[in-house]
Amino acid sequence: MSSLLIWIVLIPFASAALLGFLHLLLPKQRSLHALYTVSGIAAPFISALMSLAVGWELFNSSDDMMIHAIAFNWITLGDLSVNVAFMADRLTAVMLFFITFIGTLIHIYAAGYMKEEEGYGKFFSFFNLFMGSMLLLVLSDNPIMMFVGWELVGLSSYLLIGFYHQESANMKAANKAFILNRVGDFGFIIGLALLFTALEGTGYTFEAIEANITTLDSSLVAVIAMLLFVGAMGKSAQIPLYVWLPDAMAGPTPVSALIHAATMVTAGVYMVARFAFLYNEVPQVGVYIATIGAVSALFAALIASYQSDIKKILAYSTMSQLGYMFIAVGLGAYSSGIFHVFTHAFFKALLFMGAGAVIIALHHEQNIFKMGGLKKKLPLVYVTMFIATLAISGIPPFAGFFSKDAILAAAFASEHYMIWGMGTLTAMLTAFYMFRLLFIVFFAEGKMDGKLNPLPRTMTWPLVVLALGSTTVGFLGLNEAYGGTNIFSSFIALPDLSHHLSHKSEYLLGMLNVLMAVMGMGLAYRLYAKSAEEPQVNNVWRRAVVNKFYIDEIYDTVIVRTLRHLSVFTDKIIDQKGVDGILHVAVSGYKSAGAAFAFLQNGKVRYYALYILSGLSVLSLLLLNALGGM
Amino acid sequence: MFEQLFLILPMAIVVMGAFVLLLLSKTFSLDKLNLVAVFFLSLSFIIEILRFGTTTVCYSFPEIFGKMYIIDDFSILFDLMFTAGAILTLLINTAYFKSRNYYNGEYFALILFSVFGMMILAHSNELVTAFIALEIASLSVFALVGYHKYNKVSSEAMMKYMILGSMTGAFFILGTAFIYGAVGSTNLEDIAAYVNVPAEKDLVLVLIGGIFIMVTILFKMGAVPFHSWVVDVYQGAPFPVTMFMASTFKIALFAIALRLSLIDFASLNIVWSEILQVITVLTLIGGSFLAITQKSIKRMLAGSSVVHSGYMLIAYSSIGLGSDMAAPAIMFYLISYFLSAAGAFGILSFIATGSKKMMTYEDFKGFSERRPYLSAMMAIFMLSLSGFPSTIGFLGKFYIFTSAIESGQILLAGLGIVTAFISVYYYFKLIAMMYFYPSTDQQKKFPFDFSGLLIGVMAMMVIWGGVGTSLIPFIPGANGLIDIAKQAIDSLQNVL
Repeated sequence: MSSLLIWIVLIPFASAALLGFLHLLLPKQRSLHALYTVSGIAAPFISALMSLAVGWELFNSSDDMMIHAIAFNWITLGDLSVNVAFMADRLTAVMLFFITFIGTLIHIYAAGYMKEEEGYGKFFSFFNLFMGSMLLLVLSDNPIMMFVGWELVGLSSYLLIGFYHQESANMKAANKAFILNRVGDFGFIIGLALLFTALEGTGYTFEAIEANITTLDSSLVAVIAMLLFVGAMGKSAQIPLYVWLPDAMAGPTPVSALIHAATMVTAGVYMVARFAFLYNEVPQVGVYIATIGAVSALFAALIASYQSDIKKILAYSTMSQLGYMFIAVGLGAYSSGIFHVFTHAFFKALLFMGAGAVIIALHHEQNIFKMGGLKKKLPLVYVTMFIATLAISGIPPFAGFFSKDAILAAAFASEHYMIWGMGTLTAMLTAFYMFRLLFIVFFAEGKMDGKLNPLPRTMTWPLVVLALGSTTVGFLGLNEAYGGTNIFSSFIALPDLSHHLSHKSEYLLGMLNVLMAVMGMGLAYRLYAKSAEEPQVNNVWRRAVVNKFYIDEIYDTVIVRTLRHLSVFTDKIIDQKGVDGILHVAVSGYKSAGAAFAFLQNGKVRYYALYILSGLSVLSLLLLNALGGM
Repeated sequence: MFEQLFLILPMAIVVMGAFVLLLLSKTFSLDKLNLVAVFFLSLSFIIEILRFGTTTVCYSFPEIFGKMYIIDDFSILFDLMFTAGAILTLLINTAYFKSRNYYNGEYFALILFSVFGMMILAHSNELVTAFIALEIASLSVFALVGYHKYNKVSSEAMMKYMILGSMTGAFFILGTAFIYGAVGSTNLEDIAAYVNVPAEKDLVLVLIGGIFIMVTILFKMGAVPFHSWVVDVYQGAPFPVTMFMASTFKIALFAIALRLSLIDFASLNIVWSEILQVITVLTLIGGSFLAITQKSIKRMLAGSSVVHSGYMLIAYSSIGLGSDMAAPAIMFYLISYFLSAAGAFGILSFIATGSKKMMTYEDFKGFSERRPYLSAMMAIFMLSLSGFPSTIGFLGKFYIFTSAIESGQILLAGLGIVTAFISVYYYFKLIAMMYFYPSTDQQKKFPFDFSGLLIGVMAMMVIWGGVGTSLIPFIPGANGLIDIAKQAIDSLQNVL
């Protein structure tokens, strides 16, 4: 069983290497497409099967059961011993399940979406690399390996966001994503290093850290927890490191689906849940995380309500939903947070793939105000998108309701009413902007003439599967108030900080959430269902929101330009005048010394013999000196 | 009896091979002789590789020779490097031999004789044996250096090397005599036993003898101030011989140096270390000076090989100051230097096959356009020699500096790091020449051949040794190599 863990990670990597190699060797060969498709899809599929086996094994054993697999020892240096080792507990099993399952569906979808593209093989190579990296991240048994996966995820997202690298705007977006992630990673690695030093060599696997965490000074743990969260901010696009996420839409739509649903952005939430034991030591940091999450959720929802690019709306909605997840994990409701990750993966993948289908059908049109009336023309996409929209808006019995409700209930129960209030407001906005999208695209009068692109079956069937998932997976987390037993959180067995809430208040909260969602829906219907005109940007507020509160511009002025000026200063003044000046002096001194030394090298044997004898004499003198001291 | 014979079989095969080659030299063509030589060397190599790690320490023919001739993992590892070095030298230079008209059959016999000498040197447990072995190896190398006898530079190099070599060789035997005078035996174990029960007066004699022996070893290593022959001889010798000397013969000296330091003078090491430190500092700085001023690549590599001796001397003096890491560090460094230097010189002689030029930095301008693969490999070897991370050279330096810090020689480690920085200048200059300048010639069609393949394999090993793990069976990566080095050193220390 344990060697399965290794194979789960290895197979996508192997496939990525194979495809990459083939593509490099025969870049123009179209006849290889079948192979690319088969290998590209088979790799995540096999991983999915093996993940199921692992999950089944864990399901049938006690809840603290862990499966370990050690591939080999990687580094041994003093206290630091890093094994390339994998570990699966129940948290991992959940992550594995949806990453591989939804990942496979996205791969199938991508086979249809990308089939006309030039770099088909390259795409699947990167795609498999992305899967492998994410699997490495969740399966690692120590923070170092997790960091490797973490970085590889950053790298592969960079490669995929910049997939259409012929346009410089796309490369800019890719660079932005990469650099902002680096900022987060910087915090992350410092946090890991600090944690390692603080542990003083008592072992650096998750298990060992958990066993020793109580011995650490709690203020130090707080610093570590904050630094690790900086990493999560970057990967999971929270304020202030979120600005890459909307720009990341530059990549092909399957990439967005993969980044937003199955892989990358969930890494931050997973990391916090993985370090639950650490965050439980310092609840004040958790509150801070939850606050960041709540602000991000509300902020992103506001921006999403004014966007007109279909993918950007979805991007901001992801950021907003991630905010919910951080509210949950910040307040110690880890299983609710992971549950939202889980349900979100289904409907967000569905939304992106639906949006991708619309985009392909409309010949790469992304502005929702230029769409409309697609209800009749794309019935399957319409129905599935409708389901996903219901799910994300939190309408029961669709998946999103249960997870979002659990998070808001946890926030209410932990008596952080401010956070709860922001979450509830966001719930209304979520329903508003999502139904705005749905109504404009499918209901409002059509503005497009001409024939639609036909959609291949590989692009439509995954939608159906995901729609089924979005409808049903919520019941896994049905809690006691609604007559369930919350299979999900009892399975995942995370160290939640529990707050009790009476059934009556749970019903009230649930009803409030539904009410908010219906209000948002109603508003969207009134404004956009009949006809949709692109709104005029005619007052200060609208201008601010449409321009995303000028955050990009502010970052540009405050950080990017300042850094650039500093770099120019360092380059022109400090480096060229100062450092180089000193170096030139040193180098010329060294060179003349070298020339003087080479002068001794005159090619005459008698001189050489003289050097040897004088060397021997000096040695003798040294020896005499040493012996005199003896 | 047969068991005893089996113990010395690898060396016997090499020396028999040399005689066979002498017999065949008039009838066979160069190609065939080359193959015969490689065959014998490979046979020996295979026997040794099967034996590595399986034998316990033992002596060959103890009733006749006493404890002259020792067989342990340490010496077997060295044997492996010698035979591998010779095989690589012969195979990579196949084309070179044919392009020059002065090669004939005796050449291969001489290579085998010198390998035989080095093998005996690694196995010798007694000073006179060591001396004889060193002379067998040296005399063969003298002849090899001057092999192009109608070339003035080559003959001159041989003369210089021989005169200076004989002079320092005399020191070795003089030192041996001193030690014999004090101890009454030349066997290393007897000397160790004598030294460990100190009677101060007689130790002086042992120390003086030790200094003399050391001078010989330092001379052959090319440590400053005994280095002056290095650049001239490396320059004058034909390319294959330079490759053989830099990669293989240099290593042989460390075999005896390590054996002496670990077994013999353990209790005298405090005195030793001071002397060695002075020489190390001189070698590091002097070697850098030599390398930095050269215009020809061959001379630059010669100068830099002095610096590499300096790095190993850092660890060598750390042995006496109680660093456990130091001796394996030297072993690891030897392996890493062997791979990188053999590769770099191999490429040089490979290129020299087609031209008779000096091969200066200028000649390498735009080389990456003409021979992209070869220049990539050259770049890898240069990176490794300068100690760039992710190559084996980086780990080699890393272990060396760690051992120096461990033994408290922080200033020496600092100097080592500074010279490593300086070395970046002369190594990267070549990379810059290859990649940042346009080519003056047209791109030629380059044939695929066996020598290029071998060089490629070595480049891979340089990378794999820097990052690799035990993932690929039978090819040790970074951690596998350090384990091998430790195992060899362990077998050495177990003798006492």
